[in-house]
Amino acid sequence: MAEYFGTAVEDIFNTMEERFLSEGTLDVDVTIGYNISGEGGGNWKVTIKEGTLKVEDVDGEVTDCTAILNANAETFVGVTLGKLDAGEAFSSGNIKVDGDLTVLVAVLPKAFKPFKPVIKASAIVESVEERFRPEKAEGVDIKIGYDLSGDGGGQWTVVVKDQTCTLKEVLDDDCTVIMRMEAQVFVDLNQGKLDGGTAFSSGQVKVDGDIGAAGQSASLFEKYVAEGAAEEEGEELISLKCVPSINQRYATGPTMGKWFDGLKEKKFFASKCPQCGRTLVPPREICAQCRVRCNEFVEIGPDATVTLIDVVYYASPDPLTGKIRETPYTALFMVLDGVSRDESFAHDLNPKDIDRIKPGMKVRPVWAEKRTGSYKDLLYFEIAD
Amino acid sequence: MAKKNRNVGIIGIGQTEYSSHKEHQNQAEMVNEAVRYALEDANITLDDIDCVVHGNMELFEMVFQPDMWHSLGSGAYGKDQFRITTGGTTGASLVCAADNLVASGMYDVVMAIGMEKLQEGHTTGGITNMADPLWFRHLQTGALTATTATMMMEEFGEERAKKAAMKYRILMDKHACLNPRAHRRFGLEYDQADDLMNTSPQLVGELRLIHMCSQSDGACVMILASEKKAKKMCKTPVWIRDHITVHREETFNNFGIEMPEMTHHYAARKLFERNGIKDPVEYFDVFEMYDPSAWWGLDWAREFLLLKDDEHIKLLEDGEFDLDGKLPINPSGGVTASNPIGATAMLRPAEAAMQLRGDAGPQQIKKKVKHALASGFGGTLWSVLMMLEKDLDWQEVENG
Amino acid sequence: MEISYEDKKDCKVMTGKMALPNHYFAGRLGSKFIIALRDENKILGVKCEKCDKVFVPPREYCERCMSKLDECWVELSNEGVITNYTVVNYNDKHLPRRAPYILALIKVDGADTPFPHIVEGIDVEDVEVGMKVKAVFAEETTNTIRDLDHFEPV
Repeated sequence: MAEYFGTAVEDIFNTMEERFLSEGTLDVDVTIGYNISGEGGGNWKVTIKEGTLKVEDVDGEVTDCTAILNANAETFVGVTLGKLDAGEAFSSGNIKVDGDLTVLVAVLPKAFKPFKPVIKASAIVESVEERFRPEKAEGVDIKIGYDLSGDGGGQWTVVVKDQTCTLKEVLDDDCTVIMRMEAQVFVDLNQGKLDGGTAFSSGQVKVDGDIGAAGQSASLFEKYVAEGAAEEEGEELISLKCVPSINQRYATGPTMGKWFDGLKEKKFFASKCPQCGRTLVPPREICAQCRVRCNEFVEIGPDATVTLIDVVYYASPDPLTGKIRETPYTALFMVLDGVSRDESFAHDLNPKDIDRIKPGMKVRPVWAEKRTGSYKDLLYFEIAD
Repeated sequence: MAKKNRNVGIIGIGQTEYSSHKEHQNQAEMVNEAVRYALEDANITLDDIDCVVHGNMELFEMVFQPDMWHSLGSGAYGKDQFRITTGGTTGASLVCAADNLVASGMYDVVMAIGMEKLQEGHTTGGITNMADPLWFRHLQTGALTATTATMMMEEFGEERAKKAAMKYRILMDKHACLNPRAHRRFGLEYDQADDLMNTSPQLVGELRLIHMCSQSDGACVMILASEKKAKKMCKTPVWIRDHITVHREETFNNFGIEMPEMTHHYAARKLFERNGIKDPVEYFDVFEMYDPSAWWGLDWAREFLLLKDDEHIKLLEDGEFDLDGKLPINPSGGVTASNPIGATAMLRPAEAAMQLRGDAGPQQIKKKVKHALASGFGGTLWSVLMMLEKDLDWQEVENG
Repeated sequence: MEISYEDKKDCKVMTGKMALPNHYFAGRLGSKFIIALRDENKILGVKCEKCDKVFVPPREYCERCMSKLDECWVELSNEGVITNYTVVNYNDKHLPRRAPYILALIKVDGADTPFPHIVEGIDVEDVEVGMKVKAVFAEETTNTIRDLDHFEPV
């Protein structure tokens, strides 16, 4: 089975059920497909519906899901473990998502506890030579036998002599001490989840031979740190998160105020430069090009011709409310009837027109029923036909 | 034209590595790292610095008045200091200000510091807060817009425009992969272009995630000195020949049926005119451009280099913007690779100056580099364009 | 139609708010300082041997001579003196206490730089410069300087 960063792709799917947080998904109804390419890859379909979870290992490429994630096995494992930067994998195209991207960002974090790599007893024993501390082994001459049963178990002998350490994949007959236990108990002991004394007294660990040597052996090795867990063991760096929310007031001044007065009456006003004659929309007090005051106002619109269309998919926080915006929405650039040809105005498009809107089309404003003299008086523009 | 009382040389450059993982440093410590590199590069100490010009863009970090508390790292204690913030243009404005301060005769040696720690804030949210609250803020999505992509697809056809923008993006990544300080180094290949331009997530219209600049942490420092001091203190000073800053009113009013002259074009036209540059592609040996997205980078090459029709696309397609091309663009990898906003526009003259000195590192242009162009961009089309020279041998233009 | 600049009837005020998610990193030195406060109830500073100055909170470099200080840790006393103070007499939601309370500059023994903190356990009228105070640590951590809850008279 192919492993990346010490973890196989299927470990991640096999642990989904135990990591599932049912209470976080009561109002969720999605299916997420995973097409993981490369050695150790495969295809999975994960259905999360009203607090329930179904994980299916399927044959062939997954289609027809709320969102489908495509990645190679190494990238997928690396990102899941936090070993690879998710943003970079995503930007560079190593991870691709079809369908509703927000599902992955909004649903997954509340649906699952983070994946922790499965630590195998064999991995702990096999790293014993790297973890050996020769400076602690002066004059030590012992053979420690491990007899670990169950999944991930096996038999080994660790020989410590002349300040060197060698590992053999057999259980020698002449061991100083042999420790017998379930492989999982061995993992828990090494992870500090189980206390050695308790394990011994409760019979979970059986020791044959020199019990003193068993106790002494602990100091001969560095603590085992799983590859995926390395970061958690690193130094603690303090960071603080907060969302400062500052109430603000902004004065329109009389020129922009005129514009809002107009909206209340379903009218658009532009200011007009007395020198170059161009109109300014929304009105500004000064023509920045001629550097003169524009005291004259002309009524313009209400219909407009579309020049550019920006369909926004990226959901960012709305600074006026602090809430994440709903996407997609359309920022429509247009020239209101009767204004200078280089003076565009931008506003929302009626969402129902997103698929039909084209540059050059005529659009008309749709007004709020109750108008108070703010930008909210104008709901959006829509295709005029 | 802008008249200089005396010539000004760049004598020291310092940059941190750019990344999104600087949890181990606070802002002042990050600034200090770049200050140290710059002092080391110039082979001077803080005692030699007369004045510090410091800047970043607001609203990206949780702390304000950084110029004050950064003095722990900047070394500004007891020295004259200014703070400048002009949005994305900040880094370029800092260099322009330092140049003006030295040229005027006020100070002999000035240190300019640009910094940003974008991981500490919300970049798109921060930029959105800079839009007019009365009219555009509810629509704006930070610096994300596909208006240029739409216009280019209209002008050159969808297929050619998309291919060209992606070629530009991959070229930038290839340069970034050479630059050990660059933040994002993907290792993209040209045969991925078709796939990326159709499958990379859409942010706004045809502006896709892959096209857009990174969000980086980092600081950049440049030390400028008067000609006399520069020659005395430094073996290879790089000379700031001229620079121009151009801005205009709110750009979101500029997408009408006719487009007004873009500030980039206006800046280039005026700057080249007053310096007697007839053919910028021919004259300059490197162009470090502030290119916040691949679409903008390619489109702005036309504006800054005063090119017509599809000349810029042809130059790209023919490999003339490559490191061994006629006019290499962004050997550093540009803004799509590294973007600590308040420093980003300083990275441009910094890289250009290193290219002129010949010690830029793995991304050094092989042929001789004598004349460099660097641009800055921010806010709603605030353009800075700067000319750097290896030698003090240019001809002043009469009445230029 | 013309507008008159004497007439304010067209002038309006729009209200809104700015809400931005922020994330601040204390860095290695800042973290060590806070962790020592939090876990060991100790106040750490750094010493610049060249300038013979002990700075608290710690900083990576001496701002005077630019010597690197990140290895020059010194443990300071939890007691110190008030070098200056003010009494906060207004209430605001961002303030750490209800008014009136004492905000003082406290120089702990062994440090050359004072830092601001709250002084409690004394009437606001009775505070004075030179008063000896000692640190009282917070029961619950916020991973900030407020893990040192306040100072009180010795």
